[in-house]
Amino acid sequence: MGLTDGLKYPKLENFEHPNIITTSADLVFNWARSHSVFPFTYGLACCAIEMLSSGFARFDIARYGMEVFRPTPRQCDLMIVAGTVNEKMAPVLKRLYEQMAEPKWVISMGACATSGGPFYDGYNVVNGVDKVVPVDVYIPGCPPRPEALFQGLLELQKKIQKMSFVAPTAAAASGK
Amino acid sequence: MGIEIGSVKLSMDELATRVAQEFAGELTNVSVQEPDTIVARLERSELRQVARRLHDLAEIAYDSLNWIAAVDYRTHLESVYHLYSYATNTYLELHVEVPRAKAAVETVCDIWPAADWHEREAWDLMGIRYEGHPDLRRILLKDDWIGHPLRKDYVDLAENHPHV
Repeated sequence: MGLTDGLKYPKLENFEHPNIITTSADLVFNWARSHSVFPFTYGLACCAIEMLSSGFARFDIARYGMEVFRPTPRQCDLMIVAGTVNEKMAPVLKRLYEQMAEPKWVISMGACATSGGPFYDGYNVVNGVDKVVPVDVYIPGCPPRPEALFQGLLELQKKIQKMSFVAPTAAAASGK
Repeated sequence: MGIEIGSVKLSMDELATRVAQEFAGELTNVSVQEPDTIVARLERSELRQVARRLHDLAEIAYDSLNWIAAVDYRTHLESVYHLYSYATNTYLELHVEVPRAKAAVETVCDIWPAADWHEREAWDLMGIRYEGHPDLRRILLKDDWIGHPLRKDYVDLAENHPHV
């Protein structure tokens, strides 16, 4: 039993003709997307220290194919909100989220980004980044260890692999 | 070249006496309260000329401003200036009483440029207006914030929290 259980990979060994891949568009795109996630360096507080240490050799986020932290939203598809979001930061965060390329995901890292955490009653604290942008994965902890961040990223990979190009129809939604 | 830190050797009592004599008309309650800190009170109207003279004092000049604190005592506010003297390697705390009704003090930005952001912070969080400040905007909270949150009588309004 490993952390990667449940992730789907195209079966490359089953090709019958060289240079031809027969697969579904969903599978191959989701596979590519879920293994080249570009996170946006959005460190706001002490969670950022854990996020950065995830990037270096000891914890090595590169093992999961998402080590390229970018400092600009235009090159990113994952925003890791690591830290306390305050009222002054919230509109900036929203604008940066809107500048990211689709498809895009958000991870709320730590107690502060999830709910305000220990600063819940603070006059300047937004009680959860999900009040500003939609969140895909919440990671509890104060701050979460890098291993917890990795588990959150793997949960996100599983979520990405369930995406589909086909818009859901009423028939599909009712199960017919 | 430059000042050697602590080159002027004076005991704290000597220094306090000297400061008290120099500003006999202005500083009150001059006392030594820490191994290296003199504490004194000061009238609001005297602040600027005392600050200028402290900054330019011969030999024992308090030529550096470490920070400005603001305190809410419910009956009144206080603006506290933490000064440092390189020559004597000592600190001086100036307590200036500010009435709640008209919470305003004259700026010391032009005397110690370090006061700039500290005065903005005290204005932002405590609502003490520093008159003559070149750019008295909020520094930590967003520009359209209503109220000064570290005041004891602060009431938080829903307008300050659009993300609910």
